[in-house]
Amino acid sequence: MVRRVTLGLILAGLVGALGAWWLAKAAVTVQNRGMHTRSSVAHLLMLAETAGVFLNGEADVQRLTAAFEEEHPEISSIRIVSGRDLVASTAPGDTGENAAPRRLQREEKDLFDLARALQASVTNNLDPTAPRQEEISTAPLPSGALQVAVPVEFDGENLGMASAEIAPPAPPRAPPLLGGFLVLLVPTLIYWGASRLLPENRWVHAGAAVALLLVALIVFAGIEWNHLADAREGLFTELASQVVEDASWSTARQLEATLDPVAPQPETWDVNDLREPLGVILAGGDVDAAAMSAELASGRRAYNRGLWLVQGIAVLLCLAFAVGWAASLWRTLKAYKEAYAYTVPALLGMLVLVFIPFLYGITISFTNLNIYNSDEAVWNIWVGFDNYTAILTDFEVFETTDAGRTINYQNFYWTLGFTIIWTITNVTIGVSLGLLLALILNTKGLRGKAFYRLFLILPWAVPNYITALIWKGMFHQQFGVINQVIQMFGGTPVAWFETPLSSFATILTTNGWLSFPFMMVISLGALQSIPSDLYEAARVDGATRWRQFTAITLPSLKPALIPAIILSVVWTFNQFNIPYLVSQGEPAGATEILITDAYKIAFEQYRYGYAAAYSVIIFIILMGYGIWQNKVTKATEGI
Amino acid sequence: MRSTFTRTILIAALGLVFTGAALVEAQTELVVWHGYRGAEKAAFEKVVQMFMDQNDGITIKTLAVPYDAYADKITAAVPRGRGPDVFIFAQDRMGGWVASGNTLEPLDFFLDDKLTGRFLDSTLHAMTYQDSVWGLPLNYKCITMIYNKKLISDPPKTSTELVAAAKKLTDAKVGRFGLAYHYSDFYYHASLMNGFGGGVFDDKSQPTMNRPENVKALELLMTWVDGEKVLPLEPSTALITSLFNDGKAAMVFSGPWFLGEVSDSIDIGLATLPTLDEAGGQPMRPWMTVEGVYISQPSKHKDEAFEFVTFLTGTEAGVVMALEGGQTPANKTVYDNAKVAADPVLSAFRAQVETAIPMPNLPEMTMMWSPATTAMNAIVRKSSTPKAAMDQAQKEVQDRISKLRK
Repeated sequence: MVRRVTLGLILAGLVGALGAWWLAKAAVTVQNRGMHTRSSVAHLLMLAETAGVFLNGEADVQRLTAAFEEEHPEISSIRIVSGRDLVASTAPGDTGENAAPRRLQREEKDLFDLARALQASVTNNLDPTAPRQEEISTAPLPSGALQVAVPVEFDGENLGMASAEIAPPAPPRAPPLLGGFLVLLVPTLIYWGASRLLPENRWVHAGAAVALLLVALIVFAGIEWNHLADAREGLFTELASQVVEDASWSTARQLEATLDPVAPQPETWDVNDLREPLGVILAGGDVDAAAMSAELASGRRAYNRGLWLVQGIAVLLCLAFAVGWAASLWRTLKAYKEAYAYTVPALLGMLVLVFIPFLYGITISFTNLNIYNSDEAVWNIWVGFDNYTAILTDFEVFETTDAGRTINYQNFYWTLGFTIIWTITNVTIGVSLGLLLALILNTKGLRGKAFYRLFLILPWAVPNYITALIWKGMFHQQFGVINQVIQMFGGTPVAWFETPLSSFATILTTNGWLSFPFMMVISLGALQSIPSDLYEAARVDGATRWRQFTAITLPSLKPALIPAIILSVVWTFNQFNIPYLVSQGEPAGATEILITDAYKIAFEQYRYGYAAAYSVIIFIILMGYGIWQNKVTKATEGI
Repeated sequence: MRSTFTRTILIAALGLVFTGAALVEAQTELVVWHGYRGAEKAAFEKVVQMFMDQNDGITIKTLAVPYDAYADKITAAVPRGRGPDVFIFAQDRMGGWVASGNTLEPLDFFLDDKLTGRFLDSTLHAMTYQDSVWGLPLNYKCITMIYNKKLISDPPKTSTELVAAAKKLTDAKVGRFGLAYHYSDFYYHASLMNGFGGGVFDDKSQPTMNRPENVKALELLMTWVDGEKVLPLEPSTALITSLFNDGKAAMVFSGPWFLGEVSDSIDIGLATLPTLDEAGGQPMRPWMTVEGVYISQPSKHKDEAFEFVTFLTGTEAGVVMALEGGQTPANKTVYDNAKVAADPVLSAFRAQVETAIPMPNLPEMTMMWSPATTAMNAIVRKSSTPKAAMDQAQKEVQDRISKLRK
C-alpha cells in the first residue's frame, strides 16, 4: 500500500507542479503580450491625439508620423487615413509616386473599411443602451506583429484613423520550475517517513497523501504567482514612464509646428478596446497603486480558476492510486480487453454523436450565450448557475396589473404545471382509448378486423404535422368544421384559441387522435399473446367478464403496457409539434409546454444559454421520472 | 520508332495537362447562393449566364439554398470561410450579420453617385446599417391591393371608400367578405401602422411598440374587424387565398408571392393601397423587404464579386428578372423599359413602392416579432385593448433586449 500511495503522490505531484508551472508560463506570456498591446495602444493614441491637432490645424502630418516612427523603433508602417485619403504613411511601399498624401487605392480598402467601422463604433457607443462595440482594433498579423488601429479625433469630431504595425514583444522570463521538484519530493519524503506511524487503513493513507500534496501545490502556486506579480509591476512602471515621455514629445511637436498646443491627456491613453480608461496611469503619469493591486487581484482570481482545475486533477489522480482505483481499473481493462476493443467503435460513435453535443448543451447552460456574443469564448460569458436560479426562483406565477391579478403564462412553474397536466391527460386518453379499441378488435369472430385495424392505425401513419395543421383548420372560428357543426345545431361558434381551457381542449383532441393507435397496437399484440385457456379456466370457475378483465387481462398486459406508458409519457412531455402548430401557445403563451418554450427562448429570443438551462431542467425532470418509474414498477426486471 | 511515338504522345499529353492547368488558373470561380425557385430561378440563371458570356475570366456556380435553412447557413458558414463569395438575402438579418462580424463586406469604398443613383432611395436605405452600405439592393417586395375585377371595377382610393365598398360586398353568413388580409400578422398590419406615422423602433433603435400612432392604427383596424365587420376572423394566409380563389373575398392586401396562388379563373387587378382619412389622408405605408446582394467578407475574389454584383443589379439583368422571373427590381432604370412599363403587375408594385418603408434592419428586430404577434392576437380577439396589449408588448420587447445586452 505504501508503494501505491507513493506512486500516486509522485505522479500527482508531477501533474500538479507541471500544470501550475504551465499555467504560470501561459499567464506570463499573456500578461507580457497584453501589456505590450496596452503600451502600443497608448503610444498610438498619443499619435492619434497629436495628429488630430495637426489635421485640424492643417499642419504636416506626414512629418509628424515619420518623427514618431523614428522615436518608437518597435512601431512601423504607420498610416493615417482620413475619408478616402491616406494623409500620412510610413509603410515601405508608400514612397516616391505612392507617397502620402494621396487617395486610397483598391488594395487599401481594408484600411478604409476599418476606419469607417471604428467611426461607426464610436457613434454607436454614444448611446449608452446600445451593445458596446470596440473602438480600438488589434489584430495579429501572420508575421507575428500586431496591427493596431485607433480613431483620430479632434474636439469630439471624427477625422479618420491611425493604424500601425507593432513588432512582437521580447519573450518574458519563464517562471521558476525548480520549486516543482520540491513539490514532488517533499510530500513523498514526509509521507515515507510518517507512513509507519499511520494505521493500516487505505483511506487514512490516502487522506494524508492528499493533504500533503495540496499544501505543497499551494506553496508552489504562490511562488509562481509572485514571479508573475513582480513582472507586472515592472511593466506598469515602464508604461508610466513611457507615457510621461510621450506627453512631452507631443507638446514639443505641436510647438514645433507652430500650433496652439493642446495639452496631452495621458490618462486617456491607457484604455481598454472600448477606450474606457483602465485607471492605472494617472493624469501626471503616475501609477495608481490601488488600481494596480485591484488589477493584480483580478489576475490572481483568473490564475486561481485554472489552478483549481489542475489541483483537482492532481488530487483525483493521487486518490485514484492511493485508494486502489487505478489498480482495479487496470485489472478490469486487462481482463476484458477483447470486450473493450469490440465496443470501442460504438463508444466513439456515442461520444461524437451523443455525449459531446450533450456536454456542449450542459456547458452553454452555464453561460450567457446569445445572438450578440456567439463568437465569445465560453469562459468570457460564464455566468455559473445564474440561468438556473433565474428559471427556478421565479415564483411569480401571478402578477398584478391594472386589470387585476392575472396568471403570468411565461412563468416556469405555470409551464411546468401545464406540461404535467398535458402529459397526464394525454397519456390517460391515449391508453384508455387504445385499450378500449384493442379489446373491441380482439373480439373473436369480428368481421373485417384487418380493415378496422388498418383504418385505426391511419392517424399514426399520417405525418403528425399534417394532422396538426388539419385540426388547426377544423378549429377555425368562422370556417372550421367544428364550429359549423355547432352552428348547425343552433349553438354559437366558439373562439377556440381565446381562453386557456378551450385552447387546451384543441391540443388535447389533436394529440389524443394521434396517440391512441400506438397504444392500441401495443395492447392488441399483448392481448393476442394471452393464452385462451386462462379465460376458459376462469369461466369454469364462474368469474364474471369484469373479474376476468381485472384478474387476467390487465396483469398480462402490464409487461407490455408499462414500458409503452413510460415511452409515451416522455414523448408527450416533449411533444413539440402539437402545441407549436395547433394552439401556437395561444392565448398569450398559456398553452405553451416546456419544450416549445425552450424553443422560443432559443430561436425567437436568441438566448441560447438560458434555453440550454431550460432544456437541462427538462432533461433532469424526465430522467428523475424515468428512474422513479423504473423503481416503482420494476418494468425492466425481466430484460 | 515505337519509343519515339510513345514519347510524342507523352509530351502531347503533358502539354495538354499544362494548358488545362493554365486555363483553370485563369478562371476565377465565384460561388453564389440564392433562395430562388421556379421562374425566379430560371431568370436568375439566365442573368448569370449573360454575365459569364460577357466576362471570360469568371465562372459562376450558383446554389439554390432552401429558404428555411438559408439564414442559419450563412451565419454558420460565412464567418468560417466556408460560405459563398456572393449571396442574396433580405435585409432583415443584415444588422445581425454586421454586428456578429466577418460576414458582410462593406461596399462604401466601391460606391459612387453614378452607381447609387440608379437605385430607388428607400431600397438603398434598407441596405444601410450604421452609415455603411453592406449590399446592393436587387429586388424589393411589399404588399399592395389585389382585387377581383369581377366584384370591383373601381378600386377604392381612400379608407372611407374602402370600407364602403367592402361593406357592400360582405355577407359573413355565407362567408363572403369585401376585404381580406392577414391583419393579425404584424407584417401586414404594419402598412396601417406606418400610415399613421407609427413604427416599432425610433431613430435611436429604442423600441416604441406602444407609441400613440401605433395604438391609433390598431383602433382603426378594430373598427374594420369589429365595428364594420368587413374582415374575416382568425385570418391566415391559407384562408385568405382560398377565400379569394372562391370569389369570396373582393380585395386582398398581399404581395407578389400571393399572385402565384391565385387561380386562373380569377381576373385580378392591382392598385395602390388606399389613403387613410383617419390619418389625415396619409397613404398606407407597407413594410418593404429588400433582397440585397452581399459580398462575403472572407471571399478571395472581391473585385470579381463586385463586378458580378454590379451587373446583377444593372438594367440589363433587371429587365430579364422582371419580365421572366416576375421580380420587382430595385433598379429604377429597369422601369423605363417599354415592356416592363407595360406590365400591369410590375408597374403596380413600382407605384406602391413609392409609399413603402423599408423594414428595420436592426438586429433587435428579431426580438419584436413574438411579442407583437401575441399582442395582435390578443387585440383581434378582443381579450385586450390596443393600448394595454401594446404596453405589454413594449414591456416584453424592452425586457428581451435588455436580457440580451446584459
